[in-house]
Amino acid sequence: MSVIEIKNLVKIYNGSAVQVTAVNGVDLTIEEGEFTAIVGPSGSGKTTLLNMIGGLDSPTSGTIVVDNTDLSTLNKKQLVDYRLHNIGFVFQAYNLIPVLTAKENVSFIMELQGTKKDILTQRTKNILENVGLGDRLNSRPNQLSGGQQQRVAVARALASKPKFVIADEPTANLDSKSTENLLDIMEELNRKENITFIFSTHDQRVVKKARRVIVLEDGKIVKDERRK
Amino acid sequence: MIISVSWKNVWRNKKRSLIVICAVLLGTIAGVFTSGLMKGWVQQRIDSVIYTEMSHLKIHHSDYLLNEEMKYTVPQPEKIEKYLETNPEVKAFSRRIKIMTMANTSRGNTGLKLNGINLEEEKAVSDVWKKIVPGGGTYLSKDTRNPIVISSKTAEQLRIKNYKINTEVIDSLARLDVPDPTIEKLKSIEDIRFKTNKLFKKELGKLLTKKEIKEYGKAIVDASVHYRLRNKIVFTFTDAHGKMVYQTFRVCGIFKTQNTMFDQMNAFVLRDDIASLAGFSDTDYHEIALITSDDIDIDELKTTIKADYPELSVHTWKDLAPDAAMMSEFMGIWYAMIMGIILFALAFGIINTMLMAILERVKELGMLMAIGMNKKRVFSMIMYETVFLTLVGAVAGMGIGALLIVITGHTGLDFSSVSEGLEAIGYSAIIFPEIDAGFFFLVTLLVVLTGILASIIPARKALKLNPVEAIRTE
Repeated sequence: MSVIEIKNLVKIYNGSAVQVTAVNGVDLTIEEGEFTAIVGPSGSGKTTLLNMIGGLDSPTSGTIVVDNTDLSTLNKKQLVDYRLHNIGFVFQAYNLIPVLTAKENVSFIMELQGTKKDILTQRTKNILENVGLGDRLNSRPNQLSGGQQQRVAVARALASKPKFVIADEPTANLDSKSTENLLDIMEELNRKENITFIFSTHDQRVVKKARRVIVLEDGKIVKDERRK
Repeated sequence: MIISVSWKNVWRNKKRSLIVICAVLLGTIAGVFTSGLMKGWVQQRIDSVIYTEMSHLKIHHSDYLLNEEMKYTVPQPEKIEKYLETNPEVKAFSRRIKIMTMANTSRGNTGLKLNGINLEEEKAVSDVWKKIVPGGGTYLSKDTRNPIVISSKTAEQLRIKNYKINTEVIDSLARLDVPDPTIEKLKSIEDIRFKTNKLFKKELGKLLTKKEIKEYGKAIVDASVHYRLRNKIVFTFTDAHGKMVYQTFRVCGIFKTQNTMFDQMNAFVLRDDIASLAGFSDTDYHEIALITSDDIDIDELKTTIKADYPELSVHTWKDLAPDAAMMSEFMGIWYAMIMGIILFALAFGIINTMLMAILERVKELGMLMAIGMNKKRVFSMIMYETVFLTLVGAVAGMGIGALLIVITGHTGLDFSSVSEGLEAIGYSAIIFPEIDAGFFFLVTLLVVLTGILASIIPARKALKLNPVEAIRTE
């Protein structure tokens, strides 16, 4: 079953002097449970593509349909809601709330969703245990290593029960051991719980683990490879 | 959750938050204390107006207040007296004869309004009897012949007040911790009588250093005052029939209220000592002053009496002392203005701090918006944060301000250095600040309002962020 269907997607940025075509006619379908890496050199349009899928940026033309909803039909307010209920985000720089503990960072998004307190507490604990941080529930981000912080970020992304998780260069700031650890966790979540992951990355370690690799160049898909 | 995040955000940059909180704290203390001081000041004036000078309501012949003529006594006094006696809203009333006189002693003279009073009635209405100065004798009593109570100010005008250093004065100054060298200097003028305050001060100026005068001058002057009690004063006035009459009274007591003007005008004698001489019968009075029970609407009582007795003029203290009434009415606006101005000034500091906090957190705000925090929540988060920032300082400030008021409310604040100016316009020189709960409610409301208003600019700044760009900021 396809989660995301993208047809003829174009994004043109109008700079003061030049027009930049960041995404140039992308057609793409992401199936449920895929573990996809979008790769390509800087400026190839990876992040722009992910931003548009994430409802953070709007396309110049073309359509993105997520679960039978055409994102172009949503207004700004509805897009915020769409992101809250459908997408988990993992950022390059972790982007946790520094004043909250690991537990609070994870449950914050569920509170935004209006999850009941008892469900929320249990789920937060389970998710953090799943990412191997069962013993760091009450640590603040500054008491955690980079790898641990990114695992909290993954936990946060999953907490909202999203249809898919978008991770923009999630390993860029991590050492190899943390990267491996993080990838193992994500892969396990993908296999066990059938969670759809879409990464943008430069990192060969991520590419190696991915079961589908999409290569972008100058805003176009030049290669789309599925592996077992 | 958003509230708890906001609260935690306040303490993210402790030093910066504490600086703003301290500013709010000091501002609130200043505002609360100033308001308390003003309220105490005005309340004392109002208490003095009601319980010393005016009473709640005054009843006269309808023409009396125009020219205060002797012939305008209260018409049909028995009727109104009976009404007042039976009205539960009236706590006490005092009937007075009022005569404009010229007072003469062998040394001086002055114009005075003689109040002929009935002792027990008057004590229930006006507290002048409690205002006898130290060394100033006693209030009126029926045991002496033709007693009179005059004010300290009048005593000075009639030159029956003088200044003298004697052994008693030296003893009392020693008890007040005036140092021995200063006392030694004063001994050189022992038993010399100075007729006026001015002469005495001039002499002190020659004897003592400026520092000694500054520190002990007032105590020395106060301790050295001597009144010539039992001194005769001759009063000249026209009686009810237009004939000139004379009467001699003996000073039995000296009073001093906080209103110099009142003091300068009024002297008190027993009604029976003057009524027949002035040509009045037992039932003739110029004025009935009354004190009502607590929580009575005196304007309503005034209207009732006026309706039943159209031949009388009835005035409340607000009519007779409009300045004090105005102060009392506008007190609430005063507080709000003082606090409003202080908080308005503080708002700029708060806005600045919050803008810095937003700029520091662009990336985080971008993330929050990206993961699905809507504008309303972002706005509330920043608004709560601003309100907390303001409220912490304000609550502490109110606490400290209230404490200061409670303490100074007991000890009083002495503004004696400017007392002559204050007392000349009827305000006490020693102020006892006071405050009521309603004021704190008002301040809290204003503080929250300031917080909300101050959060608008920073919150707008945050809402304008584009999440995609904000996340990428370093």
